[in-house]
Amino acid sequence: MIRSLLVISIFAAAALVAGAVLDPRGYIVRVVCLMLLAASLGQCWNIVGGLANQISLGHAAFFGIGAYTTTILQIRYGISPWIGLFLGAAIAGLVGFLISIPTMRLKGSYFALATLAFGEACRIFATAAAGLTGGPQGISVPFVGNSWAMMQFRGAGPYVPILVGLFILISVIFVVLSNGKLGYLLRATRESEDAAEVAGVNTLGVKLAGSTISAALTAVVGTMFVQFNFFIDPDIVFNPTSVSIRAALITIVGGVGILTGPIFGAIAIVTMEEVLSAYLSNQAAGVAPLIFGGLLIAIVLWKPAGLSAISFSRKRALS
Amino acid sequence: MTAFLQALIDGTLVGGVYGIIAVGLSLVFGVLGIVNFAQAEFMMLGMYAAWFAWRYLGLDPLIGAAISFAVGFGIGALAQRFLIQRVMNAPHVSQIFLTVGLLIVLENAALLLFGADFRTVQTPYQTQSLQMGPFFISVPYLAAFCNALVVSVALWLVMARTWIGRAIRATAQNAMAAEIFGVDAKRVYMIAFGLGTGLTAFGGGIILSYSSVSPTSGAQYVVLMFTVVVLGGLGSVLGALIGGIAVGIIQSLSTLVMPIQVQNLALFVIFIALLTFRPQGLLGGASR
Amino acid sequence: MRRTLMLAAVVGVMAGTQAWAVEPVKVGVLVPLSGPTSQFGINIRNGVELALEDIKATGGIKSLGADVELVYADVPAPNAAAAAVQRLVSQDKVVGIVGAFVSSTTLAASEVTERLGVPMITHSFADQITGRGYKYIFQVSNKASTIGQKQFDYAVEIAKRSGKPVTKAAILYEDTAYGTAQAKGLREAAAAAKIPVTLDESYPLNVTDASPLVNKIRASGADLVFPVSYFNDALMIIRTMRQQKLDIPTVGGAAGYIIPDFKKGLGEFAEGVFSIAPANYDNAPEIAARYKAKHGVFMAHEALMYGAAFQHMVKAIDEAKSRDPEKIRDAIAKLKKCDGFSAGLSGGCTAFDANGLTSVASPIFVQWRGDDIATVYPPEAAKALPVWYGREVK
Repeated sequence: MIRSLLVISIFAAAALVAGAVLDPRGYIVRVVCLMLLAASLGQCWNIVGGLANQISLGHAAFFGIGAYTTTILQIRYGISPWIGLFLGAAIAGLVGFLISIPTMRLKGSYFALATLAFGEACRIFATAAAGLTGGPQGISVPFVGNSWAMMQFRGAGPYVPILVGLFILISVIFVVLSNGKLGYLLRATRESEDAAEVAGVNTLGVKLAGSTISAALTAVVGTMFVQFNFFIDPDIVFNPTSVSIRAALITIVGGVGILTGPIFGAIAIVTMEEVLSAYLSNQAAGVAPLIFGGLLIAIVLWKPAGLSAISFSRKRALS
Repeated sequence: MTAFLQALIDGTLVGGVYGIIAVGLSLVFGVLGIVNFAQAEFMMLGMYAAWFAWRYLGLDPLIGAAISFAVGFGIGALAQRFLIQRVMNAPHVSQIFLTVGLLIVLENAALLLFGADFRTVQTPYQTQSLQMGPFFISVPYLAAFCNALVVSVALWLVMARTWIGRAIRATAQNAMAAEIFGVDAKRVYMIAFGLGTGLTAFGGGIILSYSSVSPTSGAQYVVLMFTVVVLGGLGSVLGALIGGIAVGIIQSLSTLVMPIQVQNLALFVIFIALLTFRPQGLLGGASR
Repeated sequence: MRRTLMLAAVVGVMAGTQAWAVEPVKVGVLVPLSGPTSQFGINIRNGVELALEDIKATGGIKSLGADVELVYADVPAPNAAAAAVQRLVSQDKVVGIVGAFVSSTTLAASEVTERLGVPMITHSFADQITGRGYKYIFQVSNKASTIGQKQFDYAVEIAKRSGKPVTKAAILYEDTAYGTAQAKGLREAAAAAKIPVTLDESYPLNVTDASPLVNKIRASGADLVFPVSYFNDALMIIRTMRQQKLDIPTVGGAAGYIIPDFKKGLGEFAEGVFSIAPANYDNAPEIAARYKAKHGVFMAHEALMYGAAFQHMVKAIDEAKSRDPEKIRDAIAKLKKCDGFSAGLSGGCTAFDANGLTSVASPIFVQWRGDDIATVYPPEAAKALPVWYGREVK
């Protein structure tokens, strides 16, 4: 536990220092921001995937809801994303709660498939509901220059403290959840749902609470992503591969259910993506993603419990 | 009414093909208990195999699909032996992400090997149809459907009558018990996985007769395939075929009352509802 | 990392001395080289490489005495755009960018180029690209709505001349940024021409079954259909139309209708299919011949367009006599270039208006003839006469 907090502090401090020292409009700072966003997204997923042991492949739904809610509010009513993010989180939390009522009863691959379909349904909805979302044309965040009030900056530098704050917030919630009563119940549910039920735990209620919180936080990450990317369309934010599967991937590569998992995962995945893209883009088409896929397979086979398992040599029981 | 019947015809024919690609996925899940996210990539490989058979051997893709099957079987069996087998007892997360990794590798290996061009075959019947009153029956669809039907029957015979079929079913029910009766479970897993990917590749060969192939051709069939299998019950071979036809019909009929743009939305809603209320599939059967 | 720093230090020292002059000027090429649109990215790479050969042959950037070097960034999806642009600009020190084919990727990329103050030239169609009032983005092709509008107007005009005027039209488009924007142009042109649109429907990209689409075309009774789609959908729609004996003229919306694969896929059934296009290789015969000799297929329009965009950028750097992206931007905005690849575009030049949108280009109408596509309309650009219902239209 203390070790995990230490790792988080080091990561946060390193990011802050990088943001302060390096060229705020440079590439490295942007990569740091990408890592922070990835780690935050992974940590949100970790609440459902790690604590409730449910493999969600539909987190893009909540990510997209957060992204679209704040952007629409900003464009139509001039509302700052700082305020919009609360509404986005509330809507995503509600949607997360409602969709979990039927799906949380499902186990293993069934749950994964149902959430995958739900994310896709949201993407189609956002594409078809052009009056609300702008449809496939997407929407751009209005360019206002550097503005703390509108959470918008020319370079990546000022985003670093904001994203560090977001990551710490989500990590603290994760710690509180996993060590508090809810975390205890979630773990009990994870170990043996039947036993927990017998002991009087409302396992469905516990899982619903976990997924509602996870959905709301994912929406906040979605909001931050828009403010960083400035342009969204349904394919970007409701993407099954680059959002849903990636969220799970970050956590799994790092270590599921472990506080530091998403950090290691985010560092590994973002580094892999950027290095491959930087050095292999000039090569034959397809080389970079091929190596990415190969590395993914290698990690799964080599360290099924995630990269965190390397630094903590304690053996973790599988399954 | 004409529009309704026409949609029914089209949906049934194309649904038979969905059935054959989904049968493979269903078989893999039923026997190994693994959801193979890379399954659609085997369809893409099958399409390429059939294309090369057409281009260099002059085989019609409906016949070349046999070569697709062989290629799909070979690559699938190897993938099972060297990759999937290692995570047979691992948590679901490892299994899901191993197959996701496999998906990325196969798609981009195809891009490297074959390039990004769309490849198509030209058949003498590509633009033919049978006209019956106000109805059109597409010849490519009809041929594909008949082919899918024949292979389904053949698969059913293999599963019901042959030793390997019985061994596969026994392992699916209870691997340990099957081992006691002298079934080499490891080998059965390998064969079952190969059979599954081979059938999906076969379906790819059939689809090539009216569509085109590029390295990302599998993508649009992924969710479709899963819906078919869930509709028919994961692990049920007959269910997959009926599920395929059902999906084809739903897709086709929904366009009569809703914009085509949201045709898959209807599918997803049914998909989630089914998973929730009848996770064993509409046809019941397999309990896994 | 350390090596990069050392390299940077070395370069810095060298810059202090007089070695600066030989350092090549870098231009970023942002294209999809993997993923579903990689075919177009690869074509663009071929086109830009060919354009670079011509630049090298004439001595690079003369005012700086420097060579030009290309730096590629693979952007399979729009999510990758922002980081890729940032890397090109701050790591690779490119002075300008051409790309990124897919409209949404271009939109995402241009948000970053605008904030970093680096010029970018694109051929993506989406209306918003130059509709946001941004200073650093330039569009060498017309907007999608203009392309859709011309697609409709040209077809109606040819039909009228042939003596078989259009009475009802059908619009069918994929639900992407490109499809919806172009459909909007088609719709507006139909309203202006007072021609009823009896089918106006979008469909999800990469349909697995085209028969519902074609059933609707047939039911609509239209005598002209405008499908706006990528290759696989185009192939399935045309094949299914032929199966159902629907032989009404088909006017494709660029993309999937004007690539070599279209003919390979449809064979004789490709003959006579029309499409709107931003440019066609028959307007640049010398370049097209070199391309074909090298790659074995005709030069797709995106290869020509991005080759022109790239040459415009290089010429602007030459005129700016500087590596400063700000000065290069101004030079791009001011320059009117009418030679090399630019001459092959419709309008024969590359030049931009105050918003960065092309001020000279105008879409053209092409038709499949054997293994080639020929420009058939408007008359001043045409290389052949359009064939409508089997008859040449004068």
